[in-house]
Amino acid sequence: MKERLLRGVGVSPGIAIGPARFVHWELPRVTRRLVASDRVDAEVARLHEAVDEVRSLLDQLRVHTQERAGAEEAKIFDAQILMLEDPEFLREVEALIHDNQLSAERAFEFKTLEMRALWAQSSSPRLRQRVADLAGVQLRVLNRLLGKSFEHVLQSEGDQPVIVFMRELTPGLMIQFERDRVAGFATEQGTRTAHAAILARSLGIPCVMGLVGAMNRIESGVQVVLDGSHGAVLVAPTPAELDAARETERVRLDIEQRLEADRGAPNVTLDGDAVDIRATVDLPDDIDLALRHGAAGIGLLRTEFLLMGRTGMPSEEEQVAVFERAARAFADFPVVIRSYDLGGDKYPAMFSPEPEPNPFLGWRAIRVSLDEPQFFRIQLRALLRARRHGDIRVMLPLVTAVEELERVKEILAEEREALAEAGVAAAESMPLGVMIETPAAALLVEQISARCDFLSVGTSDLTQYTLAVDRGNARMAERFDPLHPAVVRLLHEIVTAGQRHGIEASVCGLMASDPVSVFLLIGLGYRVFSVATAALPVVGWVVRQLHGTECAECATQVLTASTGREVREHLLKALASRVDLKMLDGGELPGLSLSASL
Amino acid sequence: MAVAERTVRVENRLGIHARPAAEIVKVAARFSCMIQLAKDAQWVNGKSIMGVMTLAAEQGSELTIRAEGDDAQAAVDALAECAGKKWEEW
Repeated sequence: MKERLLRGVGVSPGIAIGPARFVHWELPRVTRRLVASDRVDAEVARLHEAVDEVRSLLDQLRVHTQERAGAEEAKIFDAQILMLEDPEFLREVEALIHDNQLSAERAFEFKTLEMRALWAQSSSPRLRQRVADLAGVQLRVLNRLLGKSFEHVLQSEGDQPVIVFMRELTPGLMIQFERDRVAGFATEQGTRTAHAAILARSLGIPCVMGLVGAMNRIESGVQVVLDGSHGAVLVAPTPAELDAARETERVRLDIEQRLEADRGAPNVTLDGDAVDIRATVDLPDDIDLALRHGAAGIGLLRTEFLLMGRTGMPSEEEQVAVFERAARAFADFPVVIRSYDLGGDKYPAMFSPEPEPNPFLGWRAIRVSLDEPQFFRIQLRALLRARRHGDIRVMLPLVTAVEELERVKEILAEEREALAEAGVAAAESMPLGVMIETPAAALLVEQISARCDFLSVGTSDLTQYTLAVDRGNARMAERFDPLHPAVVRLLHEIVTAGQRHGIEASVCGLMASDPVSVFLLIGLGYRVFSVATAALPVVGWVVRQLHGTECAECATQVLTASTGREVREHLLKALASRVDLKMLDGGELPGLSLSASL
Repeated sequence: MAVAERTVRVENRLGIHARPAAEIVKVAARFSCMIQLAKDAQWVNGKSIMGVMTLAAEQGSELTIRAEGDDAQAAVDALAECAGKKWEEW
């Protein structure tokens, strides 16, 4: 039997049900055709007519997008509109018609292909990304000149809204689908950061991207359930699965409304314990969302996005600007910035290290920073300078030895001195934290706590290294259990060490975004969490339903458990007395358990 | 005929990508003079977005602006401000 569950990346939440509809959006073939010399002027006029028509269509789309999604999203169309107004480009197309008697479509195709080739070879990744915009312009103008309508791909038969499947989706195309005809979008290419993904979220249309090979594996017309929250598509659902999917969507919407009504409420447990819920920031976009959800600062700002799509390392000035902006956005709150966590596939091109047989046990994170300190030093300088504008703190990933921490302190002192000597304004001191994400760090937590200002647990890596289970290996998915008693015991040791030394111990891994785990973590004594932006409302809500002493009682029981199953049973039983568990399961596909989202 | 020329450093972190290029072209279109931009001796028409984007001027690179025509000086000043600006984005 064919696999019925396709996995991709959820880029816009919600569940959509409907028939799959494949939409192909490809460049037309232009046949070679010359025009008679007395028809040349008419051909040029035909070119301008087509360009004007497409231009006004893009203008309409721009207005339409502004109304539906906002001014920022509408700017996506600016570049395409200006390309069609480019006087030099159009003059060159005209010259080809005049001088070589090419047809308008042939001349336009020739010039756009020339430009695309130029851009595609560019060393600038940003310019290469714009090739898609140019291709969009080319497609529209050529179709117009060839008298081909592409609007038919936007029409759908039948009265049921469809799930549109495409190889790739552009914002221009997405906005043209009628909202009541399309229930969801699925694409083979693209990720969370694609323009179309951002637009789907603004429009509130469920969307899953990165479904590699999906269009070869299913057929157009088949009924599917698309889960934009979890990045999955279920093919040919049974009636029972359909009912379950409708129910989870109903619950999700219900939760969303309740969470919305609850927005801005203080994150305090029923017995009055304040809990700091900070945001995890992967991309600059997350900051606005975190602010909207009322996060109490940033608990983990990953700096790897600074390296995306570039060959060199970011400059000191650039990093100062980024860190300052984050600090200003959260003026009265801590902003915890993690130093580069390079490794695996996250190397900038200039490192190009040898492939390693065990990358997760290899040259990554603090090891790279200490072996190639010139980049680390630039980052530390930027952090010291930016700290003048807010409560910036730095956190070191994958520490396994006290020497690493000591070495970082030396480097930090050297850079502070160098800045002072150069007369550059910078902070006097920098709170230094250690991520506890290996058994080595957890077992040395006493020694580490005595030498740093705060601890933060990276639960996914701590689980992976404690259980010797690769977090990325689908075959190991069931064995990857953050609620394994061995992990729970380490979590307990870490928080009590923090308490003994009077330093903050927080959780910044995925567990902090999972309500069931948050129940346990509060019971163990954690009061500071860094939560994925999408989960901020639900974690806040859960915290407000909990009773700290009840959590602590449950945690005491959990610490005596021998298996992950026992841990989970204790937790769910205790949690069920405070929270409707169905509320927490909202948005899941039928058949997927709560723990699968961890 | 008036000729003006000026070289500016690109300060924007993301360089002159599509959006700043669009702004530059919009500013250039307000002037009647001929406008050319160059990076590393590659010259393009300052009123052509395709041309300006093709330069792919990254942060820290030097951009030369040259204008010929009645309003050349005003055009160069306006474009220098635009090209040297830090756009509100990361």
